[in-house]
Amino acid sequence: MNPIYRFGSWLIDKYAGLREKISPGWLEKNRSKLVETKLSVYVFTSSRIGLTGLALVIITLFLAIFGPFIAWEPYDVYPILNKPELAGKLPHPPCFGNCEGLPMFGTDQYGRDVLSLVVRGFRIALVMSIIIVVTSSLIGILIGLVSGYFGGLVDEILMRFTDMMLAFPGLILAIAFSLTLRLSLRDFLMANPTATSIVASIFALNPKDAPNLANLLSVFLALILVWWPPYARVVRGSVLSVKEQGFIEAAKALGLSTWKILTRHIFPNIMSPLLVMVTFDFATATLSSAALSFLGLGPQPPVPDLGLIISQAGQYFPERSWWIVIEAGTALLLISLGWNLVGDALRDVFDPKTRRSIELKAKIEVRK
Amino acid sequence: MSSTLPENQVLAVRDLSVRFYTYAGVVHAVSQAYLDVFERETVALVGETGCGKSVFTKAITGLIDPPGRIETGQALFRKRDGTIVDLIKLSPEEIREIRGNEIAYIFQDPSSSLDPLYTAGDHIAETILEHRPITKDEAYQEAVQLLRDVLIPNPEVRVKNYPHELSGGMRQRVVIATAIANKPKLLIADEPTTNLDVTVQAQILDLLRGLKEKYKMSLLLITHNLGVVAETADRVYVMYGGRIAETADVNTIFEAPMHPYTQLLLRAVPNPLKRIERLESIPGTVPNLIDMKPGCPFAPRCPFAMEICRKEDPPRIDLGNGHVVHCWLHAKR
Amino acid sequence: MGLGSYLLRRLLTFLPSVIGALLITYLIAYVIPTDPVRAWVGEKLMDPSTLDKLKKEYKFDAPWYEQFAFLIEKLLSGTLIDPIRGTPVVQQVAQRFPITVELAIFGMLFTVAIGIPLGIVAAAKKDSVIDFFVRIFALFGSSIPAFVLYYFLILAFYVYVRASLLAGVPFYSLSCAARLDSIRDTVPVLGYLVWAVGQVPIFGAPMCGEFSVVSETVVRMWLPGLALGLLSGGFIARIVRNSLLDAFTSESILFAKARGLTNQRIWRHALKNAFAPIVTILGLDFAGLLTGAIIAETVFNIPGMGLYMYQGITRLNFPIIIAGTFLFSIIYIVMNLIVDLIYALIDPRVRY
Repeated sequence: MNPIYRFGSWLIDKYAGLREKISPGWLEKNRSKLVETKLSVYVFTSSRIGLTGLALVIITLFLAIFGPFIAWEPYDVYPILNKPELAGKLPHPPCFGNCEGLPMFGTDQYGRDVLSLVVRGFRIALVMSIIIVVTSSLIGILIGLVSGYFGGLVDEILMRFTDMMLAFPGLILAIAFSLTLRLSLRDFLMANPTATSIVASIFALNPKDAPNLANLLSVFLALILVWWPPYARVVRGSVLSVKEQGFIEAAKALGLSTWKILTRHIFPNIMSPLLVMVTFDFATATLSSAALSFLGLGPQPPVPDLGLIISQAGQYFPERSWWIVIEAGTALLLISLGWNLVGDALRDVFDPKTRRSIELKAKIEVRK
Repeated sequence: MSSTLPENQVLAVRDLSVRFYTYAGVVHAVSQAYLDVFERETVALVGETGCGKSVFTKAITGLIDPPGRIETGQALFRKRDGTIVDLIKLSPEEIREIRGNEIAYIFQDPSSSLDPLYTAGDHIAETILEHRPITKDEAYQEAVQLLRDVLIPNPEVRVKNYPHELSGGMRQRVVIATAIANKPKLLIADEPTTNLDVTVQAQILDLLRGLKEKYKMSLLLITHNLGVVAETADRVYVMYGGRIAETADVNTIFEAPMHPYTQLLLRAVPNPLKRIERLESIPGTVPNLIDMKPGCPFAPRCPFAMEICRKEDPPRIDLGNGHVVHCWLHAKR
Repeated sequence: MGLGSYLLRRLLTFLPSVIGALLITYLIAYVIPTDPVRAWVGEKLMDPSTLDKLKKEYKFDAPWYEQFAFLIEKLLSGTLIDPIRGTPVVQQVAQRFPITVELAIFGMLFTVAIGIPLGIVAAAKKDSVIDFFVRIFALFGSSIPAFVLYYFLILAFYVYVRASLLAGVPFYSLSCAARLDSIRDTVPVLGYLVWAVGQVPIFGAPMCGEFSVVSETVVRMWLPGLALGLLSGGFIARIVRNSLLDAFTSESILFAKARGLTNQRIWRHALKNAFAPIVTILGLDFAGLLTGAIIAETVFNIPGMGLYMYQGITRLNFPIIIAGTFLFSIIYIVMNLIVDLIYALIDPRVRY
């Protein structure tokens, strides 16, 4: 029993204790579910891949939340403007000795510390991917649930529409949408300063920079528009296979309301594939939004978007900007890798075949 | 153990043990099992899920893959040309020649046995061509004839159908046709009717009976359905926990079972003519075959268990007339 | 046969998809931008009379059905004009599309060369070190940002080791182009096919005996091809591995063994079953390569459709973006159709 599992198990026990205090008898009713959950945690923690991924995700989350506060340099100040004598030396490579006050990990073409920018960039990358995935999955799940559960004409129409969206290359559509949304969004933000400041605080950016915020918004709105169809498809498929198993009919025969059926019976059954999909999608969304920024569709300088930083570095590549590409690229790599590793381990957790062999070795129980 | 067989005996398995080396432990799937099959007879191998019946028969036909290993045993088989071979000792190539040719094997689920990308005719012709030197056209013609033998209507059309175009019952018939294509001496059927509905079950059993007569085959039927056993079997072997618990001819097994497991098994099948209040079942669950210790595997669930049952393997008691039981209850002190 | 009716049915869904593509293109062109004129014309200042002329020409003030009709006509007849060059967009597309196809072919070659052998080995040696490595390789492949990988490969193979070129794309000569054109015009059906294939320089040049083009193309394209292969190779390897393992442990293989079939025959059964899904994935991968070429072409400076789109983006050249979106969508839809047909050829169950 490795320590991380023990920690997870302790958490579950504490949670169970709490629920039991609130409503006595809860523990008995849910004992098997708790054991199942503990088993899942056990299988997950016994995977080196999963644990590595989890560590990376935790680091990513930490940097995303605290990055803007830890970062030691403001992103919207261009040192080159204050010290024009640096012009010929920029971008400056990393130097670990005495560099006349220049940053240890190198600068970009404006003289800003690259590492500080990258630390700030985590927030943007993470918030983008989370908003994209959460929103599009919610939309997709809703459509999939409705379509699969009610069937008939509703199903036909919704699925035709979803198929139409799926027939298109996602990146291309995202690019096109992003471009056309930009202008509308820019006008919208200019007219609504409150909205602008909300967006700015979420991303830890300057609220006066409305055009760039509009670009940011356009990228992730475009990605959301393109992202939801696979969720609709998957959820609908799961709902259909759950329906086939017959206990939905039984529930209906017992007179359960539609809402109860959806939440209590259907949703828990489709949770596992969804969870895996969402985790992998965090990685893909991070890379996709970075790709759109790389192509120039996202925010422009001085915003510390990781994709943008790399694309700006492209002009000076390789002798004069290789460190920028390494630092920003590694950041993106670590973020995506973290999610991908966790997703891979989760997939194994929910795959009955691989679970079996680990289950045989474990003896799990729930303590009061 | 001898190396000859009486004239009319097709198969004689002695002292077969199969172990699986997994990282959960060593699974004693089959321990010291034995079996006899004579010409033209139907032998039933009965037991619960997980008792080792399938592993037993797979071991005889060389279908056990690592991490499984045949530890000991001998399986004498009389080939068509009269020679007697020990199946366990054959090389992979030699036993491959016997499979599908002299010994045929059919499985429980016909839908997953058939390759969805190959037609019914493809399956049968392939099996024929693998073992006999005839032309492709001749093989396909034989396939049509075989489909007719297994009572599939319109065989000329059906021979070109893919599995998904056939019903469950028809698929099982195609599987049977594939199995008997080379007129084997022994047909091993692993739960051939479990996945079918009752009326189709009866048809398939009749079919097997008819084919057995026509092709002069022996049938080794693996099943957990005692009704099927009563209908079709001549002799019965009861397996539990990887061991043979009892064997006798079918009448004796049903009228005078000696092993507690057999007795309980029979009591668990309700008699439709008798009115009963409760369904009987055997308490407890399937034994854990991992790292087995000596002792009778049925002891934990046996109502007559004694101290010695938990400590030592039960002896082989010969009750005469081919009736053998492995139980301490019947041992002479 | 079932295949014919499946083909027919599949084509029936093709038409709505094309209409859908037109619809979405229309939405992008006219509906979403708050001020379409600004979007189309760019952010330059224009005097009112030119603005009016443009408004009439592009029907910005007309009702939506007129706009839609106008767009369809422009797209399908290929007369959408590139405002910067003044020529129809279609001209550039015709020149650049074959280049993108070449890039996709190279990418596919490397993906298959890396992915399939690795997948087979991983399946054969399940749970070994190689299997683990393949898993990690696949995870890295889908975690590394494409453009970062491209930059580093350029660093390695262009800057430090001059093993590739980064400018221009070899093309066959004009006389060769003329010869191909004449084949198209003289030989029916087959001639058109030959001409179409020949449009891709690496195929067209050998047809005229201009083999130097081939070697030059290889020098130019191998690096981006390798990059694309490294990105998808791991993923393909995992699919191959899982597909093979599923096929080999299936009951039908057990039955095949029980029938006494030789190992060779059994492999044929297993491979046929395993490769049906693999072929589909490869086909979709190719579609992805065609439509996802934008970033690769930008970094490797390959003058294909993707780079054209990118230029359209940076210069806010709306007609290019519209035409590009439409074209890529059609390509994607067609590729999906082809993949579905190939799958139906292999797996008879799908034909219903």
